[in-house]
Amino acid sequence: MTATSQTTTETHAPGPARARTEIVDVDVHERAALQELVPYLEPQWRRYITEYGWQPERLLPYAQPTAGGLDRADAKLPDGRPGGSDLGLVREQLLDLYDIDTAVLTGWLNASALGAGWPEFKTGLMSAYNDWQVETWLEPEPRLAGSVHVNAHDPVGAAREIDRMAAHPRIVQVMLYIGDRPFGDPVYEPLFAAAARHGLVVGIHHSENSPTALGHHRLFAEWHTLVSQVFMSQTVSLVFNGVFDRHPELRVAMIEGGFSWVPHIMWRSDQQWRELRSEVPWLHRKPSDVIREHVRFATQPIEEMTARQFLGLIEQMESDELILFSSDYPHWDFDSPERALPPGLPEALTGKILAGNARATYRLPDGA
Amino acid sequence: MSATVDSDQAVRVCASDELGRGEMRAATLGRLPAVVIRLQDGTLHALVNRCLHHGAPLSRGRLSHGSRGQAGVGDYSADDSVDALRCPWHGYEYDVRTGCTLFDSERRLRRLTVWEEDGSVLLAP
Repeated sequence: MTATSQTTTETHAPGPARARTEIVDVDVHERAALQELVPYLEPQWRRYITEYGWQPERLLPYAQPTAGGLDRADAKLPDGRPGGSDLGLVREQLLDLYDIDTAVLTGWLNASALGAGWPEFKTGLMSAYNDWQVETWLEPEPRLAGSVHVNAHDPVGAAREIDRMAAHPRIVQVMLYIGDRPFGDPVYEPLFAAAARHGLVVGIHHSENSPTALGHHRLFAEWHTLVSQVFMSQTVSLVFNGVFDRHPELRVAMIEGGFSWVPHIMWRSDQQWRELRSEVPWLHRKPSDVIREHVRFATQPIEEMTARQFLGLIEQMESDELILFSSDYPHWDFDSPERALPPGLPEALTGKILAGNARATYRLPDGA
Repeated sequence: MSATVDSDQAVRVCASDELGRGEMRAATLGRLPAVVIRLQDGTLHALVNRCLHHGAPLSRGRLSHGSRGQAGVGDYSADDSVDALRCPWHGYEYDVRTGCTLFDSERRLRRLTVWEEDGSVLLAP
């Protein structure tokens, strides 16, 4: 006898059933088409898109050589829109499938990673993006938390935008994408001051315009292997330029850079601080202490390792509160919350990484 | 059809003409997700539809050729002797005929039995 199979378009067969585990995912990308933002732009900026045809520059000299380009092949919409364009599919493939408690939106089109030209337009574009994000994503889906996108090339305008958006109860973060500038430069002080004033995390995220230390190598695989380099640069920049000394309440989340490099930066920064502290007399504590207090690191793209190796890193960082789970949905290197962490980690540590550390960092209510 | 197949466990996937050359489709065998593939040479193959890496549905990936590269840096010649199924997420590549990953022949997807009978594609463990 032959039964009839259910031919299915189901996008994912989940792993083994798990006990209810809280999950906070701190890197989920929603995406707007530029035309969607036009109605949210102030009138003086609309023609920059509708008539001038402005497009964000993309400095990466490769496309992602994957089955679906930038996105998971199964996250693209049937009508051709890119992944992250549709809340319904985000619910189906992420929020519902993995029973995510809270997902922090990290967006697309952050002007901080673009060139410095037309700064006033780009500040206005970030305002439009933020209003679109609230209306299209935060209002209809209570499991989502949002980020204020700002143009770091216009720090005063960025601070003004943070002041404007911070009152929204589910805005938890100020978003900076990494271009080629270290954010510890005091020129960015207004935006860090605004984030600290409102108790918002500053999320610093990799972008297609983030170079390696040697610019762009021949191969995408090289570039993607080296994404952690710009996070090392940004961490060192913030710490040595005293951002956290000026803002003792500030928390920063490094997103999409992994974390296995953190002990290296802690040890090396402490060594340089001891040897060269006359150059940074405003830095009154060793850098590793500053990092442990103020900086958190999202897992994705997670460095795949054994539980023993993972626990070794925790020991080297001298804290189990620094790592936050992130999936990077809908991008091609999405990390599943069921598979990202190595099997065999202590349950308490897993709970901290999957939810507890993010709740503390973003001050999310327990179980909300 | 393999002589060891228990036909009582077989399920119908689709009509034969609903699975063209170079196409694949998802199916389920009990609770087991499966991907059924018809290669360009007309042969049918079936694998568990769950990437060994993060569990992605391989049926949403891409069928492609292999890549040689024996000539060293810059050699991008296609290897038509390998029919590869590429994961839709991180891009793990599997040999459709063996279920083995192209980077490590020790890592292998479970193969399922698939055949055609009376105009239908049938699937069994």
